Amino acid sequence: MLAGIAAGLPAGFAGGCGREPVDETQAVERGDEPVVAAGPAGLRRLTAAEYANAVTDLFGDGLVLPTALEPDLDVDGLNEVGASIAAISPLGVERYEDASYLLADQVAADHARRARFDACAPAGADDACAEAILRPMARLAWRRSPTDAELDTLVGLGRQATAALGTFDDGLAYPIAAVLQSPAFLYRVEVGADGRFTPLELASRMSFLLWAGPPDEALLDRADDGSLADPEVRRDEADRMLADPRARRGLRAMFDDYLGLDVLPTLPKDTTLFEHWTDGIGASAREETLAGLERLVFDDEADIRDLMTTRTAVIDRALAALYGVPAPAHDGFAATALPADGPRAGLLGQASFLSINAHSVSTSVTRRGKFIHTVLLCREIPPPPANVDTSIPEPSPDAPTMRDRVASHLADPMCASCHSVTDPVGLAFEQFDGIGRFRTLENETLIDPTGELDGIPFADALGLSTVLHDHPDLPACLTETAFRFAQGRELSLDEAALAEWHNAGLAGQGYRWRTLLVDLIAADAFAVAGEAQ
Amino acid sequence: MRGLIGRRTVLRGLLGGSAVALGLPALEAMMSPRAFAVGGLFPKRFGLFFWGNGTLPGDPDKPLENPDRWTPIGEGSGSAWTLSEQLAPLAAHKDVLAVVTGLSMKLPNTYPHGSGAAGILSGAVLSKDSMDGFTAATVDQVIAAEIGTTTLFGSLQTAATDTLGLSFSGENARNPAEFDPYALFQRLFGDTFVLPGGEGLVSPTLGLRRSVLDAVMNDVGALQPRLGAADKARLDQHLTGLRELEQRLAKLEEDPPDLASCDRPPEPLEAYPDDGDYPQIEERNAAMADMLAMALACDQTRTFAHFLTEPITNARYPGTTDGNHNLTHDEPNPQPQVNAITIQNMGHFARLISALRAVPEGAGTLLDSCAVLGTTETSYGRIHSKDNLAIVIAGSAGGKLVQDVHIHSPSQENVSKVMLTLIRSMDIVAGEWGTDAAHTTDGLSALEV
Repeated sequence: MLAGIAAGLPAGFAGGCGREPVDETQAVERGDEPVVAAGPAGLRRLTAAEYANAVTDLFGDGLVLPTALEPDLDVDGLNEVGASIAAISPLGVERYEDASYLLADQVAADHARRARFDACAPAGADDACAEAILRPMARLAWRRSPTDAELDTLVGLGRQATAALGTFDDGLAYPIAAVLQSPAFLYRVEVGADGRFTPLELASRMSFLLWAGPPDEALLDRADDGSLADPEVRRDEADRMLADPRARRGLRAMFDDYLGLDVLPTLPKDTTLFEHWTDGIGASAREETLAGLERLVFDDEADIRDLMTTRTAVIDRALAALYGVPAPAHDGFAATALPADGPRAGLLGQASFLSINAHSVSTSVTRRGKFIHTVLLCREIPPPPANVDTSIPEPSPDAPTMRDRVASHLADPMCASCHSVTDPVGLAFEQFDGIGRFRTLENETLIDPTGELDGIPFADALGLSTVLHDHPDLPACLTETAFRFAQGRELSLDEAALAEWHNAGLAGQGYRWRTLLVDLIAADAFAVAGEAQ
Repeated sequence: MRGLIGRRTVLRGLLGGSAVALGLPALEAMMSPRAFAVGGLFPKRFGLFFWGNGTLPGDPDKPLENPDRWTPIGEGSGSAWTLSEQLAPLAAHKDVLAVVTGLSMKLPNTYPHGSGAAGILSGAVLSKDSMDGFTAATVDQVIAAEIGTTTLFGSLQTAATDTLGLSFSGENARNPAEFDPYALFQRLFGDTFVLPGGEGLVSPTLGLRRSVLDAVMNDVGALQPRLGAADKARLDQHLTGLRELEQRLAKLEEDPPDLASCDRPPEPLEAYPDDGDYPQIEERNAAMADMLAMALACDQTRTFAHFLTEPITNARYPGTTDGNHNLTHDEPNPQPQVNAITIQNMGHFARLISALRAVPEGAGTLLDSCAVLGTTETSYGRIHSKDNLAIVIAGSAGGKLVQDVHIHSPSQENVSKVMLTLIRSMDIVAGEWGTDAAHTTDGLSALEV
């Protein structure tokens, strides 16, 4: 993360009541792209989501997908960063092998699926047919054309298996399994040549950033003819790809990773305390956040900062009940206008944020405040020191509300160094319980949700969301996150200047998320490969 | 692996028309090439039983508010010591236990729970990249690298709650735990499992799968020269797994080892859904314990790491009103609910030891050849203390470790000494363990016979 707590606010952001509003009509002058040394390049293991997307793109919808793969590794808040570090364990090898046959058997036996590559269907051994199927399959799976030697090996496996098992279809499963177990499938190989990513590597970098999946044939063709080295071609291809439905999948994957939403379907909550936490509501909360983002970015093409303040919620009946708003007329999700004078708006009014960043039986002002600082503003907060008593007092007549009880955090200087940062912000959300239901009282005492962030006062969670909407660190952090996602690693100190340059570009385009993605891809830095890690 | 070989072989049998031939009972007991109990000597086995969030070793300055409920009463062996309140569920196994108290993890405690776990299990600090990233191999993997080379599985990692566990082969190279009992059963005792006296599997698919693995290994080898050192090491990990799997497929074609006590354990349920907000810790632990015992008895592996829970686990235990981690921090002293959880944890450890002792082997039981280390990442969880750590060892590792003893270190000795003694108890020649302040060249001599 680039910005520490102690770092001053960027120039131009005058805290307090009299600050200048951001002028969205005027393009920000940002100069030429800074030239900086690139960070390390190397292998990126497909995340579990990327694996599922890749085989779906390869073989089509409707497959029975493997349910157990090597788990993702979360590093600095992103599985996409962990993917550049994670190895594959012996159990992982077993699971990838299992997955490869689960998929290969379905594909080999299904002539309609096979016809995506070639329609030939001989009874017995037929090398020409095997090659006709395996060559385009390997190209799409490996994001590059197979060499003749690699293709010979695959065809040979098919011949051997057909001889042993009797039929072409049974035999074909083995080279398909080999395609899916190959390191060329399981890892994105992005090592570059002479300090630049190759056009094929660029194609993968683009598609995994925009689609959370592999390039299509059209993009591979642009790589094979070398034209992706041209930033204008990359820009045109990125525009084309953003118009494809897979771009919605890519947006969802990025924000699922960034916001840590994958925990929601199994998030434990005490249902005796939280009767609205019904089966499936965790998954609904995840869908609300992702569907809302999809709408904001692709349907409304709105300012990404409106994520903080929008009164349009994409919810189902369970969430409507939790929020106390009219339910959609039909089963499933529908865009619903939240009351204009209600207490709830934007991401921070959603059950996803409010329930993840809470305990199973209560709220957590520390977790909620930490989320604001570390996830939304990209600031670092160190873990608590050891040998310190971290307990919070029980409710009592003297300390009925959480604000009273966490006062102890703030009285001890050792605790206060971090809790004076997290807790005052987290207290803004005390009017929402551990699953996000609105309340005004705790232990029959009125909850005080007021506070301040970086010297700017707010009245409650809504006010804080507005402060965040206008806070310059919010788009800077979103930009940094997308950049980290593209690079698959932490940014170097040098690259901080690049992140600022991209952030200025985002501001200059009215904070349209799609323009940031295109900007990242068209930048020269996107094509520069550092030392092999 | 979720029933990899079993389900797959069934699928291949259906689609490929080639059924798996399970071996018929035969009279080759004396002919088995893999019989190992020559002269009554059984192989050494190592196990780890880990639970999260510590114990209650008390605060000497506040004996009434926060009394010690962990440390056994009295020091020495036999009648010289008795179990504490929290260790009481292990009473039936006191004769095979060595409890060590007064040890400390000597590395900096920079990340609550994480530093303790990494320091105790690997003798090293956490990776800066991740709270879950260790920088060195854990003790189970160091042992497995030596004693796990001839078995179907080099080692096993299991859990009784939804955790990936903390078994690492090297930096950031986690061996994720299987926390689904049914999946573990399919992996160990599914369609490819053959009881002693049976014959190895005969199926063309085994050879074909090995051919595919050969091709994949070639591809990995061809990729490596293009990479930097860190990525080469990652692919070395991958190659290790590929080789292990290929060797396992080859072994499936051999006759199983001749082991009198090997049997299929009870088949677990297909699912253990949470009971309201309470995971079925007891049931899942019992199922895993029975399978681990038979995995050792059938010589499918000689090393396991079993994670009842993980550091910072917030699992809810029966009879408690909040998650485990929340309670360690928020329950007022003397923390009766935290105390109850620790007592339950020791009951789950006892269940594992019972499963190992229920298997007769030679004149004794399976546990005799084992050393099973029970530990947790902190002592007093409320303050993440790394002093007065919990060390409970069951089994003598074939007569190498003392039993029925409470050893107390008055000087907060380095907990790494225990790890070095355990490694050596497996007949592994090891000169040292741990890095920096955790480094030691000495074992804990009081633990050694």
